[in-house]
Amino acid sequence: MEVKSQIRRTASVAMVALLGLGIAACTTGEADTNLNPDEVSGEISLLTPIFEGSPGQDLLEDELLPQFYEEYPNVTVNVDYTTYGNLNEKLTTAVVSGLVPDVMLMGVGWIEAFADKGVLADLGELGLSEDTLKESYTAEIVEAGMWDGNVYAVPIMLDTRFGVARMDILKEAGYDSPPSSWEELIEIAEATTVRSGNGSLERAGFDMMSLDARQAFETMLFSAGGELFNEDATAPAFNSDEGVAALGLMADMVNKYKVEDIGFTSTDDIVNPLINGRAAMGIAHNNLWTQAMEADPTVLDNLEPFVIQGESSGMFFGGTLATVANNSKNPQAARALLEFLSSPDAALAANEQRGNVPALTELLDSDYVQSNRFVQFAMENLDVAQREGGPSQWLEVRGDFAPAVQGALLGQKTPQEALDDLAALVQTAIDR
Amino acid sequence: MTTTERHPTRGAKAAAKQVSPSTAPKKRKRISTAEKKRRRAGWLMITPSVIHVGLWTLIPVIATFYLSFTDYGIFAAPKWIWFDNYVEMFNDAVFMQSIGNTIWYTFWTVPVSMAVAVVVAVLLNQGLKLQKFYRTAFFLPQVTATVAIAMVWLWIFNPQYGLLNAMLETIGLPGQAWLVDPKWALPAVILVGAWQGIGIKMLIYIAALQNIDESLYEAASLDGASSIRKFFSITVPMLKPATFFVFIISIIGAFQVFDQIYVLTDGGPANATTMMTYEVYRSAFQEFRMGMASAQSVVLFAFLLFVTLISRRVTKEED
Repeated sequence: MEVKSQIRRTASVAMVALLGLGIAACTTGEADTNLNPDEVSGEISLLTPIFEGSPGQDLLEDELLPQFYEEYPNVTVNVDYTTYGNLNEKLTTAVVSGLVPDVMLMGVGWIEAFADKGVLADLGELGLSEDTLKESYTAEIVEAGMWDGNVYAVPIMLDTRFGVARMDILKEAGYDSPPSSWEELIEIAEATTVRSGNGSLERAGFDMMSLDARQAFETMLFSAGGELFNEDATAPAFNSDEGVAALGLMADMVNKYKVEDIGFTSTDDIVNPLINGRAAMGIAHNNLWTQAMEADPTVLDNLEPFVIQGESSGMFFGGTLATVANNSKNPQAARALLEFLSSPDAALAANEQRGNVPALTELLDSDYVQSNRFVQFAMENLDVAQREGGPSQWLEVRGDFAPAVQGALLGQKTPQEALDDLAALVQTAIDR
Repeated sequence: MTTTERHPTRGAKAAAKQVSPSTAPKKRKRISTAEKKRRRAGWLMITPSVIHVGLWTLIPVIATFYLSFTDYGIFAAPKWIWFDNYVEMFNDAVFMQSIGNTIWYTFWTVPVSMAVAVVVAVLLNQGLKLQKFYRTAFFLPQVTATVAIAMVWLWIFNPQYGLLNAMLETIGLPGQAWLVDPKWALPAVILVGAWQGIGIKMLIYIAALQNIDESLYEAASLDGASSIRKFFSITVPMLKPATFFVFIISIIGAFQVFDQIYVLTDGGPANATTMMTYEVYRSAFQEFRMGMASAQSVVLFAFLLFVTLISRRVTKEED
């Protein structure tokens, strides 16, 4: 165990050094991109939403930070733990008070807002370039950390959403493979839905409610071939024919095909309905695999991931990226920590702890990815995955999506009305 | 020319002032050293509170009023936009829905929990066995964190495994998707609010009940009054000051409901349970619109002020 830890530590230091060399190689010529660990010093703060809870805190404080201190003995890191649910408030109050953490881990879709407002440091000035990052990451993931042509964030992990089928249930209903089109999705969902004699739902054919309504809609929107915004992110595009078709399908699943009832599952469910058999198919997060390993490993062989196929391939990704504050008093120390957290070894450990998808393509061969079918599936299909966000106002408007989607699912508005009303809100925010 | 000549009226007034004994400067009352010390000690003692109120209440209140007329998105200096925030707010269907929800929530949680609290207080003021246990049990929700309470209610309301649906099933009633069905979400939140508010109201009523002169009940008993008659003719009128106090703090509390909404429903489904405070939070921390959030806070403040003044007026008239 001790030997393994030693090897891991040595490997980590080597990785950090390699990443540093990689950054040095892509220097712009003006910035000093070589960090001399002995010369880097100072006290810096880290705001993180991904190491929350005891296991995450233990990983960061007992394993990762000691490795970092070994490389940078003159740097002290003060960690501020939070969750994604509270990250927005934390960042907002930090900006208002002028106490912006030196290193911040943020979500996909968040970079635009904070980069636009000048909160984040342009990492290009620290020697990171788009081209170099694209050698190690999928292009779309690198772009999630960019704003206005500059790099502001380095990806660490991805959260993907895709279709998942319970093959044992599908086989019982006479299907050998997951659906490969919307028509098949409806057909299989209807065939696998189970209701009791009094009509109450016992098994959903296709579950969309145990996932955030916005993310479920986005996955369906992408499978319809739709986009959230126009190309230059100046206007909403989700109320297009594709968007209406996607939301229409979701509403029909509930109201017409009756393959799921409102309230049958929810985001608060402790056990995902695909694990306990309350759903035959659904849209799920990639960490469903890790959940199933802990809750009921016997079900793992029956969980089959699939890309929801409509006019296009529906797969959605969010994720966590590392950023540096523009006004950091110790930018070199902050940069050192950013490089460390996004280095292969540290990123792999963080991904493993959360059951997430490493952003670095080189980690596709790691034992963790090879042993996790969902993560492997996600990494193999990243080329079709799309992200949310786009305009710098994304954080302002993303909260309006769920009520709009829910309104359509509940039949309060038609999909077209719900999306048009939402588009009007979004356009007002963009124009503001 | 003298001043009096130039301004005859002023001159006459000045002359009158000089001769009138009533307007002559009063002799300053001599304050003893002990009194001075006492006053100084008083000022010294209230200074921390004054500083606290000034720093954390007065300045934020003034800032909120000012910011409500600005477009302030945190990252740039506030821009004065007059009443634009207010106009937008009252044209925003979601905010109007939040006002409706807040009033509806208040309408149900305040009278219901007050009625239950007064009955419980009267029952627990009879010297029953296990009285202390019951008092503690009823007061417990008040001292428990709302978030913890909301987590328990999340389980109670769970459509599949929840206690509430299980109980309904045992008596042959169909279960509901309490927090995800717009029809039931607000009543479910109201139920939690009413339940949680009983404890503090009960405590105030018990304190008030213990101040009622026993001789009133004895005299009523001699006159042959029944328990119900005594309750409505003696207890209820004597509890009037406490009722007014409970009413005001309950309304303020109900208008400020936030944490249970945050945990239970997040304002959903489809904005069915969003409240004014939740919209303030959403504007400030999700949309970064501090100016709008300030305007919404001012409207919330105006609502509370209006309700308080009306309540005071009604009570005063009744007195």
